[in-house]
Amino acid sequence: MSTGTLARTATPTRPGKPPAAPARRRRGGRGLASNLALLAISAVMFFPIYWMAVTAFKPGPEILSYTPHWLPSRFTLDNFTAAVDRPFFWSGVANSLLVVSATVLIALVVAFLGAVALARFEFTGRQLFVAMILVVQMVPAGALIIPIYLMLNRAGQTDQLPGVVLAYLTFVLPFAIWMLRGFVVNVPVELEEAALIDGCNRLQAFRRVLFPLVAPGLVATAVYTAIQAWNEFLLAYVLISTPEKQTMTVWLASFTTTRGTEYGPLMAASTLAALPVVIFFALAQRRVVSGLTAGSVKG
Amino acid sequence: MSVPTVPRRIRSIPYLLLAPALIVIVGVLGYPLATLVQISFQKYGLAELLKGSGSWTGLSHYTDIVGDSFFWGVVGRTIVFTAVNVALTVGAGTLIALLMRKAHRAVRLTATVALVAVWATPGLVAIAVWQWMFDYEFGVVNWLLTKLGAGDFTHHNWFENPVQGLGVVTAVIVWGAVPFVAISLHAALTQVPDEVVEAAELDGAGRLQVFRYVILPVIRPVLALLTLLQIIWDFQVFNQVWVMTGGAPTEGYYLIGVYSYVQSFGVGDYGSGAAVAVVMVLLLALVAFGYVRGLLRKEQTQ
Amino acid sequence: MLTCRSVMLAIGAALALTATAACGGNGSSNSSGKPEKITIWLQPEAAEWSATVDKVNAEFKTKYGIEAVVQTQQWEDHLTKLDTALAGTKAPDVVELGNTETAKYLAAGAFADLTAHKAEFENSDTWAKGLTDSCTYEGKVSCVPYYGGSRAVIYNKSLFAKAGITDTPTSLDELYAAADKLKAKFGSDPNFSAFYLPGRQIFAGMSFVRDYGGDIARQDKDSWRGTLDAPQAQQGLAAFKELVTKYSKADKTGGDRTQDATFAKGKVGMTYGLSWEIDAIIDPKRAGNPAMKDKIGAFPMPSHTPGQTMPVFLGGSDLAIPAKSRNQEWARKWLALYTATAPQSDLAAKGLIPNSTKLLDKVPDAAAPFAEAARKTWFTPVAENWITVEKKSILQNLQVSILTGKAGLPDATAKASKEITEILNTRG
Repeated sequence: MSTGTLARTATPTRPGKPPAAPARRRRGGRGLASNLALLAISAVMFFPIYWMAVTAFKPGPEILSYTPHWLPSRFTLDNFTAAVDRPFFWSGVANSLLVVSATVLIALVVAFLGAVALARFEFTGRQLFVAMILVVQMVPAGALIIPIYLMLNRAGQTDQLPGVVLAYLTFVLPFAIWMLRGFVVNVPVELEEAALIDGCNRLQAFRRVLFPLVAPGLVATAVYTAIQAWNEFLLAYVLISTPEKQTMTVWLASFTTTRGTEYGPLMAASTLAALPVVIFFALAQRRVVSGLTAGSVKG
Repeated sequence: MSVPTVPRRIRSIPYLLLAPALIVIVGVLGYPLATLVQISFQKYGLAELLKGSGSWTGLSHYTDIVGDSFFWGVVGRTIVFTAVNVALTVGAGTLIALLMRKAHRAVRLTATVALVAVWATPGLVAIAVWQWMFDYEFGVVNWLLTKLGAGDFTHHNWFENPVQGLGVVTAVIVWGAVPFVAISLHAALTQVPDEVVEAAELDGAGRLQVFRYVILPVIRPVLALLTLLQIIWDFQVFNQVWVMTGGAPTEGYYLIGVYSYVQSFGVGDYGSGAAVAVVMVLLLALVAFGYVRGLLRKEQTQ
Repeated sequence: MLTCRSVMLAIGAALALTATAACGGNGSSNSSGKPEKITIWLQPEAAEWSATVDKVNAEFKTKYGIEAVVQTQQWEDHLTKLDTALAGTKAPDVVELGNTETAKYLAAGAFADLTAHKAEFENSDTWAKGLTDSCTYEGKVSCVPYYGGSRAVIYNKSLFAKAGITDTPTSLDELYAAADKLKAKFGSDPNFSAFYLPGRQIFAGMSFVRDYGGDIARQDKDSWRGTLDAPQAQQGLAAFKELVTKYSKADKTGGDRTQDATFAKGKVGMTYGLSWEIDAIIDPKRAGNPAMKDKIGAFPMPSHTPGQTMPVFLGGSDLAIPAKSRNQEWARKWLALYTATAPQSDLAAKGLIPNSTKLLDKVPDAAAPFAEAARKTWFTPVAENWITVEKKSILQNLQVSILTGKAGLPDATAKASKEITEILNTRG
């Protein structure tokens, strides 16, 4: 498993121009520029999030004002208290975590198997399957909601969290399979074969070769799945009736009534809701994407 | 790359691998999809929904839609809107992913946190925040533009002119979708071997050449998928338009998602709603299949 | 090996989930006898009077031995959820709807017919007209009025005092005069509105139409005719336009999303709002300002005819029993308890308009002007396709085009009337 194998297969063509200017110096300068550019973009991207979070700490009259308050004149936790004290906050969090982890776990396993099939095998019906998962993505969820409900209703799965997980799986699986396929395709078969020849069995070959190289894809797919499931509103709302079983997103909608929207608590609640996802991903990103892959490809 | 290696003798393996996915997708969506197609040929309103059966009307929903010149105007607007949104999203996402590859660790982490924070914001909240930013009375954007001397934006209504309004909607959508593209592409970029990039650079390849000949071939499957998904999603945009226009969009705001809601689902005409959905899928499929076929072929020839 | 095990674990977990779910069904009701419980869907406002709901449920339990389970719903996508539930087999036994949302369901026969049972409901002979209308279709009553929200002019007392206005206006002319005084005193502030009124507020514009004797649509026999192009309706809209263009800095093409926050800034002399907007103005959670507490007053919107009030659109909620409910008899008994005098008095005490005109005097002083205004109400046409007029924003677009001067009154009203006629007469 030398990097050479990987390099050869991954570079179809190499531009054959004569060596020009000192590449090294230019690269350093570009590094600074791209770092600054990235910081600037991040700042723009982050601004609405900042606005949400800072609003959560503002006393009421400052939430909307003619001259923007970039920071609250005094930090208040009232909005957070109001959010957390609202009925069904904790059950909402727990249900969302449950639904998200079940969806992610099942989706990853099922999608990975499907991705290997699509990437590594030629078989009758392959095109048909590809066509199917693409079409499934194209149908607007709003158009399917009633028949999905009726079907789950017949199966006794309405007002049940597993029913929600099942529905989510159908919406994330097509993408997950297709995405992972892209990653598996990029891992040269020769690598796996080399491992088999070295005396690994199939599982070992999978674990030592394929898995590490596909890990970034798994992480990206997991994040995609997790966030889709975490943010989904319509299916969760329609399928679940019992307030104790509702998810976080549905709970968030309760801040808007005919009396207006409780902006302060809503922003506080969303900040709280986004926090675990951000922290989890920041950790996952560092460990898996940079650490694990870099290590195993080179080692 | 599609050369079957070991398993030619065990033909069932790919089917076994696909079985769980198939069972879930077909099991849950098969019946609803069939129902959708069926009721698109039926008179199916609330009364029929309660009974559980509609009466056949043949192609009438389809002829209504296809014969409606307003509908084709909506389709045209939707295509332009989709093209702009997809181009911006994928372009910005790719740029960010490439920058992240080059960036210092701390900067990369900062960018990642910003991206994930955006991504993890529920749609409902994101729309509320953007509505504030572009608010007629209290909007930060109006305040800022006025301060920056771009003119007097006090009491400027961004939604009075649909072109401007759809511009704001585009900002919301691109902002919300860029993290997904950037993070997925960043993951794909980890499969690009640094050594090859360095070698190419030493050989004097310019930045564009490196991207085109070294990086693009590796990330192409993922990039293609992301583009396709963005096309599918942006083609169906509804919520952002509906909420940001206060639930009362003028005709200049009618994208196909809004059209199908106003014409059918919102008013309980499920039959014609289903027909619009089927037409949408057909339109998308036209784009997608040519595209996917090309993609698969390209992979096979490599 | 590890990978293999985790695969098995995941699959095992999935199977276990499905298995538990399959066993978890709760067959609480059987059609013949008495159910253990009935299910009630209320919208989230009910959290504000949860004590009342609890009291009714306790009474229901002691009286009939049945548990009433209240499941709070959200407004977003609530009709989608209602449609799916009505199509399935697990329909709730009581549901709440906004009163402009009922027509479609009444026409489809989605709710149990209560005409023969009307007498079982206390005060049903004095139900508020705006609410009863929304429950009546082709002579059949299929839902029960729950509560209403009435609109009145909300004004800033301290600005009135500073501008030297002593009496609240009792005619439109007096209202304009007051607005002139406010404008003269504070008009130099670009954010100040003597009368804040966003252009899409159809319940304001259409009230003007009614006040001048116009109508949105009229029914002759079984066909509908849009009548906004009639002279009276045009007069009303002209008066509305004058008020908005002269005195309002609010968004002519927008809704009332920030109306209360603007009022809370003290930049608004008067506005037209619902009784509970007074709470929103002083509620810090809704971007309001508690310091405004003693500065807010209200009076009924005056008519152009001196001494009279302008007809008000009574927004609100109704409660219905889905025709698919298997516990209709018990649902009716619960409804009878929940919409009776005692719980309605609780709601009135919160400033809401109770379902019966008899109970209007239970409303506290602060909300009294709203109750006063609610003595003269109007309602949108109860036509099967009315919801299409709403979803297509025909009235909103009419107002916006008039206010921005994009179209003249005769053209704009003719166009809207034609559209309304077409939509309301479309058969199924």
